[in-house]
Amino acid sequence: MTLTLERPQASQADAATPAPQRRAHPQKIAAALTLVALVAASVFSLISVDISLPQMVASWGNAQNFFARVGIISFPAPGELLYLTALTVGLVLLGTLFAAFFSVPLSWLAAANTSPGRGWMAVARFLGVLARAVPDVVLAMVFVLMFSLGTLPGILAIGIHSIGMISKMFADAIEQIDEGPRLAIRAAGGTRMQEFFSGVLPQVLPSWVATVLHRNDINLRGSVILGYVGVAGLGLEMSYAFKSLNYSLGLGIALVIFALCVVMEIVSSAVRTVMLGLAPTRHGIGDRLLRRLGVTGQKADASHHPWTYARLRNAVWGLLAAFIVIGSVWICDIKWGDFLTVWSYLPETAAKFWPPSFGSYDAPVMLAAMGETIAIALAATILTIVASIVIGSLAARNVAPSRRVRAGFRLVLVTIRGIPEIILAIVLIVVTGLGTQAGTIALAIGGVGLLGKLLADSLEEVRPGPEQALRAAGATRLQVYAGATAPQGMKALIGHSFYMLDTNIRAATILGLVGGGGVGYYLLNAGQGSRYDLVTTIVLMILVTVVAVEGLAMWMRRVFR
Amino acid sequence: MPGLTSKSSVTTGSASRAEPVIDVSNITKTFGETTALNDVSLTVGRGEIVVLLGLSGSGKSTLLRHLDGLDRPDSGSVTVLGAAVSSLKGRPLRALRGQVGFVFQQFELVGSLTVLENVLTGALFRVRGPRLGLWGYRRDLKLAALGHLDRVGLLAQAYQRADTLSGGQQQRVGIARALMQNPRILLADEPVASLDPESSAQVMALIREIAIDSGLTVVCSLHQVDLALSWGDRIVGLRHGQVVLDTITQGLSKQNVMEIYGRVTTSTGELDAIETELGTELGTGEAGEPDEQGELDLATFSSARDNRR
Repeated sequence: MTLTLERPQASQADAATPAPQRRAHPQKIAAALTLVALVAASVFSLISVDISLPQMVASWGNAQNFFARVGIISFPAPGELLYLTALTVGLVLLGTLFAAFFSVPLSWLAAANTSPGRGWMAVARFLGVLARAVPDVVLAMVFVLMFSLGTLPGILAIGIHSIGMISKMFADAIEQIDEGPRLAIRAAGGTRMQEFFSGVLPQVLPSWVATVLHRNDINLRGSVILGYVGVAGLGLEMSYAFKSLNYSLGLGIALVIFALCVVMEIVSSAVRTVMLGLAPTRHGIGDRLLRRLGVTGQKADASHHPWTYARLRNAVWGLLAAFIVIGSVWICDIKWGDFLTVWSYLPETAAKFWPPSFGSYDAPVMLAAMGETIAIALAATILTIVASIVIGSLAARNVAPSRRVRAGFRLVLVTIRGIPEIILAIVLIVVTGLGTQAGTIALAIGGVGLLGKLLADSLEEVRPGPEQALRAAGATRLQVYAGATAPQGMKALIGHSFYMLDTNIRAATILGLVGGGGVGYYLLNAGQGSRYDLVTTIVLMILVTVVAVEGLAMWMRRVFR
Repeated sequence: MPGLTSKSSVTTGSASRAEPVIDVSNITKTFGETTALNDVSLTVGRGEIVVLLGLSGSGKSTLLRHLDGLDRPDSGSVTVLGAAVSSLKGRPLRALRGQVGFVFQQFELVGSLTVLENVLTGALFRVRGPRLGLWGYRRDLKLAALGHLDRVGLLAQAYQRADTLSGGQQQRVGIARALMQNPRILLADEPVASLDPESSAQVMALIREIAIDSGLTVVCSLHQVDLALSWGDRIVGLRHGQVVLDTITQGLSKQNVMEIYGRVTTSTGELDAIETELGTELGTGEAGEPDEQGELDLATFSSARDNRR
């Protein structure tokens, strides 16, 4: 209809007049230049972190020595192992759920289309950025001071830090909804709250579930590092083992964590499929079974919600989820009394962290360290992007030449994602020695797991129409990819890449804790040496960097819309 | 725009005999540079079935949105069911919206919810607070919703996800949702523009049937002259945000309508566009055969029309 509306103008216009030139917006030029500058900086960083293959090959000897020294990998006693595993999973789960719950109101405030006002929006967005920018390790450091030792510091650290990401993704999802159903509810006389619950929430629930599950995977991997600052679980045991030079046990626990992460990844992927499964086909095994049992008399008793296979399945999953949550609370043995006593510690703790200072270091030393962290993050991001474009594309259903290829690359991605970066970094540090090189490679490899997956998912979500059109015109597989799939996925790639950079800056800090170079080393030292004012300084530096990257990403997204 | 002031000459039957339930007087609405509505006045009496006819961009949707308080006029006033919509806010506005059902071109259902839940959202103005899931609604509301689904012939699909339905079925759910409000007025914005001819006929017949059964006042925007003539009791033609035609359909032919559009149209290019969009040809003579679509529509609606008279 819009086409015919434009026709009068078109028919009036002289056919000979040239088509109007598309004028490049100055903002667009600036954004493109910034993008180029960022890529250049990344390449420069890549050179400066000094990754050299010969050196890595040469250090292979170290690795052999190391593994010879480790001998046979050993594990904790089965009962203890089981308890530690359950504890770690339960703690992570509760932290994620905490975040999932509190990110709903925060996202409601932060999304442009649901927020009650611009002021609320700014506050909510700022809280989100703050939660995201302060590493969970730092939060755990603080909470360990305020709460009695146990699981609560870990749960809260994971929870508060995760609110940042979940609320951001959720707010973005809310902003992308179809406004129609909401309008329909408004037209029917619904309140703002009703609009949100009936028109917005059902649309974004799948993305919320996906984000929460995804965050849970991240948190499980991240929980390892929390052990280094005293949060109970597998991470703590591993850090004890490495500190006491019991490498055989340390690597054993690392192996368990790795397996746990892969299992969790598979479980959450299964949950996602079940919960986000497309409209029920009504041809599944369960449906046929129910039909045979004659459970489909729908018209007869339409006033009762029929127990279809889908409903039965949802109910079973729901019950299971409830049991797992109750089990998590039970095993974490939360000391609820801490919530009352914590307030009395608050002023004392705050005094330790304020005012910020550089401690015994000079400002230039700390700034150089921060610069090194940024360089690691940039170098790792560019490596990740290059690798992810290849692996992620081949893991997308509509790009992979065969199902088997897709499955293979998906498996590669899951495996990479399963390896906690920290363990990768520890192993790499052993192999290549302390320094930026190990940190960069660990981050780059770990990043492929995430970016590759995000990219593959985005590519699978592009509109299939243009692809079909090209295929119908006789294009080859590669031509379809270059002509229809990739251009549609480009925007997502830019968005995901900035997200990657964002993540990497924080991850680069944390890797420093185990000797991966950058500002993290100082952070751990300051924490262990009770120089909390220095911790504050470092956190502020990280905060400024993350907020800058965040702002840049937002600007890019707006310009390249 | 010269030559457009002859509004009165094409207005043959706007005087509403019944008491007016919608009274729009001299509203103007601009969006940035474009004037969507330019000094529009319209009175609709109780039980009237009115078609807003016009091309896309003529201001039909904007006018309908004003009737439900979804847009506010820059000037002029909108009175619906005795309430000054243009100055209502908060609870009174929601109460009015509750009495006015709205059917959308794109159905605007939540695809991931069941059909029944979608219908129940039409009752939200009668309950307090938000609702999530079926268990949030009282039993009597659920039964009422099932009744409306039965009315539109979709009872068997009550517990299916809305996005598993065909377009025509989704629009019938949209109608059931509007009925759930127990409305006194039904507004429909191009309700069949996204549907195939067969579903279109079903949906339009259903709306008319329901309107007559429940004594609803209906304002429905359309862009096909054939459909408008066969379906509505009265046609209000819009062009560039102005009312250029307001007449009862009885005794009116497609030719008449096109002539009127011809008289108020200045450029031939625009006339071409009207021809294309309104699906007819000027100058084919009165004996010109109606296209298949037109016949189908006439056949479907003549029965509903007979019932009424």
